Amino acid sequence: MIFFCRININCKAIFTAMLIGAATISLNGCETTKTVNKNIIFNRADPYEGFNRKIYQFNEDVDNYIAEPVAHAYQAITPQFLQTGIFNFYNNLKNVNIVINDLLQAKFQQVAQDTGRFTVNTTLGLLGVVDAAKKLGLEQNNEDFEQTLAVWGVPRGPYLVFPLLGPVTARGLPGAAFDTAANPSTYFFGAPIQVVSVLNTRANAEGSIKFINEAALDPYVFTRESFLQWRKSLATDGRSEDNMDLDDVIEDNQPVDSDKVSFINEAKQFAKISQQFFNISKSFNQTSESFENAINKLDSLNKKNNKI
Amino acid sequence: MFLLQIRKFIVCCGLVLLFATQVFAIDQPPTTAKQVVDKFQNELLSVMKKGKQSSFSDRYNELYNAVANSHDLTKIARIVVGKEWEKLSSEQQQKLVEVFSKLSVAAYTHNFKDYNGESFTFDSEEETTKGGVVIHSHLSIPDEKDVKFDYMLKENGNNWRIINIIANGVSDLALKRTEYTSILQRDGFDALISKINEKIDNYSKL
Repeated sequence: MIFFCRININCKAIFTAMLIGAATISLNGCETTKTVNKNIIFNRADPYEGFNRKIYQFNEDVDNYIAEPVAHAYQAITPQFLQTGIFNFYNNLKNVNIVINDLLQAKFQQVAQDTGRFTVNTTLGLLGVVDAAKKLGLEQNNEDFEQTLAVWGVPRGPYLVFPLLGPVTARGLPGAAFDTAANPSTYFFGAPIQVVSVLNTRANAEGSIKFINEAALDPYVFTRESFLQWRKSLATDGRSEDNMDLDDVIEDNQPVDSDKVSFINEAKQFAKISQQFFNISKSFNQTSESFENAINKLDSLNKKNNKI
Repeated sequence: MFLLQIRKFIVCCGLVLLFATQVFAIDQPPTTAKQVVDKFQNELLSVMKKGKQSSFSDRYNELYNAVANSHDLTKIARIVVGKEWEKLSSEQQQKLVEVFSKLSVAAYTHNFKDYNGESFTFDSEEETTKGGVVIHSHLSIPDEKDVKFDYMLKENGNNWRIINIIANGVSDLALKRTEYTSILQRDGFDALISKINEKIDNYSKL
């Protein structure tokens, strides 16, 4: 516990330094950056909101003045089937990473499903350009190393916004490094192909960006909340019920003892983590039992053959 | 002859009874949480099918009743401003419920404006410990990944009403609550109302 706390404190100091550096560099170089409201409401999940908002604004400006026009030009000159093909190709390579994370989370059924998906798309789907597996009813699972760390009980850490890369949590940083290392496209393709991949991703995100701009009263808060909720939903495989029933906010007007709540939450979190470890060890046990059974069967078959 | 007349009478009575039960079924308001969600989803699909042939205001008027009869808009408006609700005057509370209701309907009107073969499918129903019901369903869109829609309902009087929609794990209520309370605390009530009105205006122009 103390070890994790120390890591957390060190990480916080490093992230603060990185964010200060990044914010200073990026904001000095961008005259178009708008003034950010200084009166910021403290949010536990986002202790660096002031810096994050500046980076968010910088990213918005980069998107408005560079990424969006370039992505529109790319969309105009690239036929839809080619955009879909490029998306499918990169998405198929991601399956290697997904299978590794399925294994690390002891989701053995998903391992079989995602391996099947990768094999079908790489062969029948012409190296992944066609999503043949989907037509066969093999839906893609969404797993990455940040979710694996969450399943292992690593705390989420603060919400951060990185220049050009966008939102991430402290837990997502080592996660992103591992995912990049485990993705074959990192090793096989040069910079121009990677640029096409980024452009394609931006072009595909057009609908989501439009939706945020249309719906959000405060796009920064909207992006942060939907990102954190989405990541939590992925990490818990949709089983989190934290944000479902918020009725007690208006029914319970009693002052809340924050220490008591925090203790209860920690106890719940601990119970959850130990349950997850128990589940993982249980599935490992089951797997080893099935291996044992298989070996026993093979032995008995061998004995029968020897007798014959 | 007499037997024939009796048979005719019975058939007529049967037809009248059948007609009466059907009319009764149409007029009968939905009683279970699942029926409320089913009715709302069907009304949404029906407006989508009319598509852009009908104007924004026509679709808005049609959806206003559908949303008002299935959502507890007053409760939702109270939840999205959290504890700040108690600090508002009754006029401000009324104003908030009014503009929030308009925004909710305008958002539905804008986002569900055309039909490309979408369909809703009921998955399961579960009761929560706090007396609510969650209806799990999903929206199928041809050539796209399904979108999971979970509806949280609470009983208001004798009626079940939607108080939260969770789309692919993202809770609309939690999202709005963080957004609205932060604007209220930072910029005040008037700023919140003017931002909501700006959004309603934008939706009608898009």
